Amino acid sequence: MPTATPSRGFAVRAWLRANTGPLIVVGLLALLPFAVALIDGQPLAEVLANQPGQAKFIQGLMIEVFILAIFALSYDLIFGITGLLSFGHAMFFAVGAYLSGIMIKSFGWSLAPTLGLLAVVAVVQALLFSVVLPRVQGVTFALVTLGIAEVFHIVIQSRELVGYTGADVGLQGVIPPAFLSPAAQRLRFYFVALGLAVLVYLLCRRFVDSPTGRVCIATRENENRALMLGYNTFYFKLTAMIISSLLASLAGFLHMLYQPIVSPGIASLSYTVNALLMVLVGGMGTLSGAPIGAAILRLLTFYFDKWFGQSSGFILGMVYVALVLFLPYGIVGTWKLRRFAWRSGWARLAQPLRPPSRDGERL
Amino acid sequence: MTVTRVTFPSKTMDNGIILETHKLRREFGALVAVADVSIAVRAQTLHSIIGPNGAGKTTFFNLLSGNITPTSGRVLFKGRDITHLPVHRTAHLGIGRSFQITNLFPNLTVLENVRLASQALGHDSFHFLRSHRSFTRYEARAREVIEMVGLTARALAPARTLPHGDQRKLELAMILAPDPEVLLLDEPTAGMAAEQVPELISLIQRVQAGGQKTVMLVEHNMNVVMRVSDMITVMHQGEVLAEGTPDEIAANEAVQNAYLGGGVWRPVANGGK
Repeated sequence: MPTATPSRGFAVRAWLRANTGPLIVVGLLALLPFAVALIDGQPLAEVLANQPGQAKFIQGLMIEVFILAIFALSYDLIFGITGLLSFGHAMFFAVGAYLSGIMIKSFGWSLAPTLGLLAVVAVVQALLFSVVLPRVQGVTFALVTLGIAEVFHIVIQSRELVGYTGADVGLQGVIPPAFLSPAAQRLRFYFVALGLAVLVYLLCRRFVDSPTGRVCIATRENENRALMLGYNTFYFKLTAMIISSLLASLAGFLHMLYQPIVSPGIASLSYTVNALLMVLVGGMGTLSGAPIGAAILRLLTFYFDKWFGQSSGFILGMVYVALVLFLPYGIVGTWKLRRFAWRSGWARLAQPLRPPSRDGERL
Repeated sequence: MTVTRVTFPSKTMDNGIILETHKLRREFGALVAVADVSIAVRAQTLHSIIGPNGAGKTTFFNLLSGNITPTSGRVLFKGRDITHLPVHRTAHLGIGRSFQITNLFPNLTVLENVRLASQALGHDSFHFLRSHRSFTRYEARAREVIEMVGLTARALAPARTLPHGDQRKLELAMILAPDPEVLLLDEPTAGMAAEQVPELISLIQRVQAGGQKTVMLVEHNMNVVMRVSDMITVMHQGEVLAEGTPDEIAANEAVQNAYLGGGVWRPVANGGK
């Protein structure tokens, strides 16, 4: 081929140009704690010393967003990219939180071996979910994964395991390592969480761009055709599942470090639905949509609770309805496709008010 | 050329047979879609299967490619029993299959559709931390095939945005990309505008002759079949009604009664349009 290999400097510049948006976002997030302090009139030295204040509070909220972003990215890999609808994804997250917490608290393990064990268990979980893949598809697969995850949800709440899991109260009393204490070293934790979220995002992007990832997309688009071409799609779904499980466990691990109490609610169906919502709001299969969805979900939940109190759930629901109506492919998906549905969204909203036309024609 | 009748087991490949079936049968409940069909396909020939709708042609193709498993009987490829191989394995043996109904990756570009097809038989599909662009030979092969079928101008368009005729060409490109030895083409011209048919057929002929490939073709356009085939198998209600060269088939009374409506089929000069 006559094409010349581009020089390294050129490649770097091209990469920077192609990723201007995400780079600006990451830069702004790195400056956020200091910007908040400046607006709030708090000296920057206090932020660096992790003194209480608005800046520290915002850092805490954003750490939750970063953890959810990793969780949402891991779900986008199997749901948006590979096309597997799993209702048991919360289990990956909860295993990450509970297993690492128990190893640290009850068995006195340090971080490195805990993470090693977590990786092994994450792969085993992915295998457990994938055992049924050749047999069931679509909604049936979703229900089987829901079943497995619900068993786990019940087990961690059982009284027999109260010494390890804290049963229905939740896992508490895990002492995070001093260098990564969410209270005393909040700023450091903030940058670690941000860094990991960026790393996971880049990793997911790389995966989707790789030969394996391309076949995962092909599997989502038309699995039969992928089989006919000679791809044993099972192994590709399994690969996506393993990577997704590893990332979700990492998110769970960070959640355990950050939260003083790990509630059993993180293993429930509603936590999987959270991931699903984040991916749908951001735009399924877009990857960059997942962190955006995570930020919107967490921040709206927090601020709506603060502003509207009891009616916050209702208002949040209205926001979701509006998003589905006007941005049918999620925020990033609709932006990429330039398929905003301003007019048809209103039309669909008004439709139930109109009597159906005689031939039953719907929009 | 005389009618090939296989005595089973045959010494495959010695007599140039690349693909053969032995009493292949598939039932769907009470319906016998394919009834004990035994045929032999010579290597590097163009072998057509014709027959009225519901004759079992597509089911027969599905049995050959491993999409469905037969009720009984065997499929041999180069003397090897492939009857129960799953569909993704037959592709690796060098059997490419196209579909009557357009079967693409609709939201991916033409280039990506064909690139995936060419990547399928390589051994690089389990690199998940390197960009697919660094495996240049698949993309190069994809571009080559896209050029061959004449879709270069549309290479970056999503497959779903192509007009039907171009989708059929893309379908063919996806079969050609991994360079299979045997091509099973199920009505490659289905739904195509009449003026586009000769172009596609001559492409198939070029590929078959130039690449020394074996092509099995299901086709409804009789002029095309009669002109391009080396051998024709006529199926009727799941059974083989007749087999032979185009001339023999044209002269066969049973075929004329069952399929060609009793009238004598006459070749049209220049093979139709």
